[in-house]
Amino acid sequence: MPEQLWFTKILNHLFAGSVTSLLQHLSITPKYPTAPIPNSLAMELLVFLFLLILFLVVRSRLSVENPGGTQHVFEIVEGLIQNQSNEIIGHHSEGYTPFLATLAFFILFCNLIGVIPGFESPTAVPIVPLGCALCAFVYYQYQGFKHAGVSYLKHFSGPMPALAPLMIPIELISHLARVLSLTIRLYANMFAGDMVTFVFFSLVPVGVPILFLGLHVGVSLLQTYIFVLLTTVYLQGAVSDEH
Amino acid sequence: MRTVSKLFMALSVLSFAVPAFAQGGASSEVNWVAISAGFSMAFASGICALAQGKATAAAAEGLARNPAARPGIQLALILGLALIESLALYTLVIIFAKVK
Repeated sequence: MPEQLWFTKILNHLFAGSVTSLLQHLSITPKYPTAPIPNSLAMELLVFLFLLILFLVVRSRLSVENPGGTQHVFEIVEGLIQNQSNEIIGHHSEGYTPFLATLAFFILFCNLIGVIPGFESPTAVPIVPLGCALCAFVYYQYQGFKHAGVSYLKHFSGPMPALAPLMIPIELISHLARVLSLTIRLYANMFAGDMVTFVFFSLVPVGVPILFLGLHVGVSLLQTYIFVLLTTVYLQGAVSDEH
Repeated sequence: MRTVSKLFMALSVLSFAVPAFAQGGASSEVNWVAISAGFSMAFASGICALAQGKATAAAAEGLARNPAARPGIQLALILGLALIESLALYTLVIIFAKVK
């Protein structure tokens, strides 16, 4: 039996049977049939439910005449993301704000939930940052195709048509390397933070690990910002018009 | 006689060293992966620190010359630092993947 957090135990107790039979229909046998839901998935679901409730609560309290505290906070966040994408992408960047803001909230709360005892960051396993990076990748490619149609593929062929046979493999590899670097950056920062806290906890159990928990909080914020910033830069590369 | 028996008693302590003649197993071999992982991580962190120092120095100088350009310089600095940091982190990931 794997080591489970209390929330994972609740989910496995309720859903283990149906999840295992669903997986077996897809001809996948889980390693532990009584506990098919891993900790990272349980934590992701918790963050998802929390964000859903948060957004519904904020939405119900929106008003034009007298905005409350929550509305101010969310307007500030939306202003930050919109200013940044305006600075980087330029015109007509308001359409990208919902995706970027959702990505920012999701990654931020996934990173921060690891600080609370009894929970762990789902971004400390490689598959969760891979999911976020693949979402960002599919989003900016889709926006590129939506903006320019099929001539978006000209982005891959470089400055001159004569260089196309050389540039196309290089561009493809560099686009795939963006997914890899986004994944590994987020995963390694979160995982290394956990490891370092653990090492110092085994050396000095009192006092010193608090500094590393503070570092984990700071790194969470910075890595969220970097992820969203890089997605904005990739969006700019995909939808920019060569005047 | 007493001296000789004491000498023999002292020499019999050397029989504790007999296991050294046993066949050496694989567990006594040198763990080259861990040693090279330590060196490579130190190398990667050192070069990363040099590069980040250069980036920060350039950003500080640009900010001192033109304080009005702060948003752009700050953006370029944070982006550059995070990209350089991620290169050192790739080495760390290999260590976690390969060292037992």
